[in-house]
Amino acid sequence: MKSPGWYPIFLREMLMFKRKFLKLGYLFSAMVVPVIYLFAFGLGLGENVRIQGGDYLTYLIPGLIAMTSMNNSYAWVASSLNLNRVYFKTFQVLVQAPILPTSIVVGEVLSGMVKGLFASLLILVVGFLTAPAPAVTGIFLVALFLNCFLFASLGLITGMITRSHEETSTYNNFFIMPMAFFSGTFFPVDRMPDLLKGLIYLFPLTHTNILIRKDGLDPEGLVSLGILLCYSAVFSFVGARLIRNYSE
Amino acid sequence: MIEAAHLTKRYGAVTAVDDLCFRVGRGEVFGLLGPNGAGKSTTIKIFTALCRPDYGECFVDGLNVAGSPLEVKRRIGVVPQENNLDRELTAYENLFVYALLHRVDDRRRKVQEALALVGLEERRDHLTHGFSGGMQRRLLIARALLGEPAVLFLDEPTTGLDPQIRHQVWDIIRKARLDGRTVVLTTHYIEEAEALCDRVGILARGALIALDTPDNLKATVGQYVVQHVDPSGRLIQQIVKSREEGHRLAGERNGSVTVRKTNLEDVFIKLTGERIE
Repeated sequence: MKSPGWYPIFLREMLMFKRKFLKLGYLFSAMVVPVIYLFAFGLGLGENVRIQGGDYLTYLIPGLIAMTSMNNSYAWVASSLNLNRVYFKTFQVLVQAPILPTSIVVGEVLSGMVKGLFASLLILVVGFLTAPAPAVTGIFLVALFLNCFLFASLGLITGMITRSHEETSTYNNFFIMPMAFFSGTFFPVDRMPDLLKGLIYLFPLTHTNILIRKDGLDPEGLVSLGILLCYSAVFSFVGARLIRNYSE
Repeated sequence: MIEAAHLTKRYGAVTAVDDLCFRVGRGEVFGLLGPNGAGKSTTIKIFTALCRPDYGECFVDGLNVAGSPLEVKRRIGVVPQENNLDRELTAYENLFVYALLHRVDDRRRKVQEALALVGLEERRDHLTHGFSGGMQRRLLIARALLGEPAVLFLDEPTTGLDPQIRHQVWDIIRKARLDGRTVVLTTHYIEEAEALCDRVGILARGALIALDTPDNLKATVGQYVVQHVDPSGRLIQQIVKSREEGHRLAGERNGSVTVRKTNLEDVFIKLTGERIE
């Protein structure tokens, strides 16, 4: 039976992921940062702080899930693609295979999404064990899937344009980390100074954080959904262009 | 079977491939011989759609590589200069993923056969990061042959291998030729070009400076070389047309003098004034 062009790329990533996953180090490293945040912010501030009429942990956990899905979807794709392109040269095997450039995009992005979703699931489980369970609604899942998709696509762009692994870390420090802190993960964006709000509303993670906490799709949620869809389309389009124009 | 028409590729001020023109016939083993930096690998990368030329075109089986890349990729197998196996996958997984990428039918059987061809069946479930250089190279060749390509490109296939493994690789290349495949290989090993190639193109600084059978190339510059060491310890070589002329010249020299047959490195030195390193 003929498999779709993206499947071997996805399979390859999953085979490698399976080996990493079976080592306890992966589970520990995937969970350690969000769990530290959960305990440091959540349990430290939890009883004294109320946000949007609820306790702090109820606010924090969806934000940590959004942040974890972003970090994992982005970093796995960016790092793996950069290493495979610059150091290990395995990206050549994909370019020299008789598959469309979009198959490479789909395979890489899907594998990034799976890794992001898996890490998010771990945080969700920790959240269930330590705090009031977040409501896993349809909107929650849409926000989570879109977040994984757009950050995996952004990771693909970074992986294609960076010339070294160190450069990948630079993008992480200047774009991804600030986004994690200022996009409504730990506190609502409306508490930020007006001057910064405009910038913060440009961050895609801000809109994931808005959408993931919604019970129903109100006008604000619709706007955030539209923005996330736009980012997804732009990032995947740019990623596909970079792969189509790849030349050593 | 394959054709380069005025291929040119520049990287900044450096011209890696300079107006390259040649044709290789079906079933031929064609060698690109030259020192490091001569443009051999860039030429292979252009033919295998990994690199776009600044000027010129190339064709595989009558198909323009730039115009029909997918069709071309279905017809080629590539053994790169650097190991690009997935280190975190087993030998079997590396080949299986490749077979999926190239839509090989009856994958499991053919992967097993490919592993047997290069003597790696017993290592099928081992991660390749533990493989020796020779095992990696054999697995790369098995992978390139998996899609039953009409044209096999090998970039420096035996660099860094010990003589025994090198001869094993040569046998696999000879078998690929017997199976009717066209083989294009780059090398800077003289004996490799002479042992395997029907015709050899000599590259220097990106340009093709000679192209013919190894015997004709040697006949062009002279069949014999007279070597002797001068009083300052310098090796002096002189190419002559015949053995008789070589022995006459040897008789005129003092000290240790050798008369031997010309090889392709002598041709290269004669044409460029440089050695192949």
